[in-house]
Amino acid sequence: MKKSYEFAHKTKRAKKPVAWVASTFPVEILYAMNITPVWPENYASLCAARHVSVKLCEIAERKGFSRDICSYARCVIGSLYEEKERLPEGGLPKPDFLVASTGACVTHFKWFQFVSHHFKVPLFLLDAPYNISVGESEHLENHHITTYISQLEELTDFLEKQTGEKLDRKQLHETIVLSDRTSQLWEEIQNYRKNTPAPMGARDAFSTVFYMLSAPSTQEAIDFYEKLRDEVATRAEKKFGITQSEKFRLVWDNLPLWFDLRFFEYLNNLGAVVVAETFSHVWIGRLDPSRPYESLARKYLTNFANCSIDRKVALIQNLVKEFKADGVILPANWSCRMMSIGETIVKEEIYRKLGIPCLILDVDSTDNRNYNESLVKRNVEVFLQVLSEKNCES
Amino acid sequence: MNVVDPFRNNLLTRHEVGKRLKAQGKLVVGWSCTSTPEEIIHSMNAVPVMVFGNLENTKLADVHLPVNSCSFARSGFNSVLKGDYDYLDGFVTSRSCDNRNKIFDMWKHYSEIPFIEFINTPHTRTEGAYDFFFNEILRFKSSLEKAFGETISTSGLKKSVHVYNRNRLLLKKVYELRKREPPLISGAEALEIMLSSMIMSKEDHNGLLESLIEEAPKRVDPPKSGVRLLISGSVLDNPELLRIAEIAGGNIVIDDLCTGSRYFWDPVDSDSDPWHAVAERYLRKISSFSMIENEERFKHTIEMTKQFDVEAVLIFTLKHCDTHLFDAPQLINELKNLGLPALHLEWEHSQRGLAQLKTRIEAFIEMVSGVG
Repeated sequence: MKKSYEFAHKTKRAKKPVAWVASTFPVEILYAMNITPVWPENYASLCAARHVSVKLCEIAERKGFSRDICSYARCVIGSLYEEKERLPEGGLPKPDFLVASTGACVTHFKWFQFVSHHFKVPLFLLDAPYNISVGESEHLENHHITTYISQLEELTDFLEKQTGEKLDRKQLHETIVLSDRTSQLWEEIQNYRKNTPAPMGARDAFSTVFYMLSAPSTQEAIDFYEKLRDEVATRAEKKFGITQSEKFRLVWDNLPLWFDLRFFEYLNNLGAVVVAETFSHVWIGRLDPSRPYESLARKYLTNFANCSIDRKVALIQNLVKEFKADGVILPANWSCRMMSIGETIVKEEIYRKLGIPCLILDVDSTDNRNYNESLVKRNVEVFLQVLSEKNCES
Repeated sequence: MNVVDPFRNNLLTRHEVGKRLKAQGKLVVGWSCTSTPEEIIHSMNAVPVMVFGNLENTKLADVHLPVNSCSFARSGFNSVLKGDYDYLDGFVTSRSCDNRNKIFDMWKHYSEIPFIEFINTPHTRTEGAYDFFFNEILRFKSSLEKAFGETISTSGLKKSVHVYNRNRLLLKKVYELRKREPPLISGAEALEIMLSSMIMSKEDHNGLLESLIEEAPKRVDPPKSGVRLLISGSVLDNPELLRIAEIAGGNIVIDDLCTGSRYFWDPVDSDSDPWHAVAERYLRKISSFSMIENEERFKHTIEMTKQFDVEAVLIFTLKHCDTHLFDAPQLINELKNLGLPALHLEWEHSQRGLAQLKTRIEAFIEMVSGVG
């Protein structure tokens, strides 16, 4: 990760194009055009891990941004007003242009709209229609796919204009092949976590999923995931679990507490291991290099962040079954509507369909002022007690 | 009787109004976002009504919705759970913000309203977005026809466009009365007139507006002179908030609200094909904060301050309304550059924290008017 920031700064110094990107944007096209993407969301999580996010959020709040808006956004907006030398990795390099999609939330583009205004650089918005059907990608409505594809064509024109270079269709083909391979490898890694004891936990997953989001179409991602896959496979074979006394297997929704990834070790010490995160699974999706734009449309339009809650219920239901989970943790992110509204439906539906209990935790991924550690931990411990009694009964 | 009383009475008894319409054989279809193309609903002999809750706690909704969700949407949902909206034949929402997208799920899961529809309104106004939205409009039409067994004809839609345009024209005339100094209609009254247009039959509302326009110049109780204010925000259904400012010495002479000028400012082009004209109007009307073209919106707000001779601005943002919260700092800066003081207030629909808002509004008006 550190290397990626160094690379982005180097690119900027070499006067090559740097773009700020928001998640659920089809980043493959940027790689196909040799544009270096920078991920403000990832930067916010990094600032949280380095314990500077609150300070940066406060700077944004002094500039008039409400404490209730996305803590990722506040953190990054705050960093725009802080001296570079005082920021992790020297801050984010100034973008030449911005690209965002509505695929995860409206917040992404509202945030980028401000950044675009701040730096006076253009913003391209890929407006992904919201998907209210539960089905898989083959059930997507036709006009949703066609509008996405035509916007990818517009995006290509935009990028060509920004960079002065034409998109090489052969390079796009290769990029799609690489991204598809990365996704397959990541899925293989995740599948090893179906083993008991689970050979990999959430801390490792959240630390390595980075490539899936930001650099899926690079050889570096493939090399890294091949090594990781081999390591996880060996651990699975040797039955070397993330915790030696695996009592509870959990599914984790949304984001982790970036400022306290040791939370997962705390869970492990209680005999609980996170075997699957929705966040690790939403980025998985096959791509067909012979139909690059259509397969990108299908992949991103069905990402559950772009869908009504039923799709999340279906994904969690599937994870619980496949990964033999005993319970589900639903961290409701205070500053994120998308990650907090609807968790009650998930909780009710998972219990109704599978008899599996869920726990909603009131937290915030980046702004730890919205996190009451003792209350959260007490709730977790009571929840594990419930799971324990349930296991005894069965 | 005050000239605004008939509007206020309808507003205060809106559920009775809805039930009466039903008893008259009308379908009543709720909507939650002003980008809902009401004319299409109207043209199948139905009355579209805006759904909003009461200014009270939202105990029933709080079981399902976290406190960090939009309190306006939460209160509407609370009213649904209470059964206030049991008379609705359908509910239509559209894509404008993360709150609304997700609360659509709540309606689907927990309400018993037989028909619930979602319109995918784009966040951009490009040609491609228009083509997509036009398809959505046609899909919406088919969906209504299928659900209610009605046929929506082009000539029927034309008639509905006529009724709605008439309402827009009359509302604009009412707004013109606010250009005078002092204005002939107060801000709180204007809001009551606006809100009532959203909950009753447009034909009836047009009748009320015609009498108002005739009677208003003769009124014996017009507002007194005060600091001329613009209010900006998203949905606002609480005239009391405006009354606080008006009692404190302000006059709200114009608004930039979803439940205000943005609702009616632009007519549907009645000379072209109504389907295209409706799509064009609802996609390209005065931009809301959920559109990518927010610079245009700032321009519109500023233009309004000039037209209505505004001295200061109150920005009312609902708590947790991300789209508006993101734009507020920029809007304030743009206004300050023009020498217009602005006060940004975050408010809760349930009226929690009203006393604090009151103090801040009073202090602001005092400061602007140079008193004290």
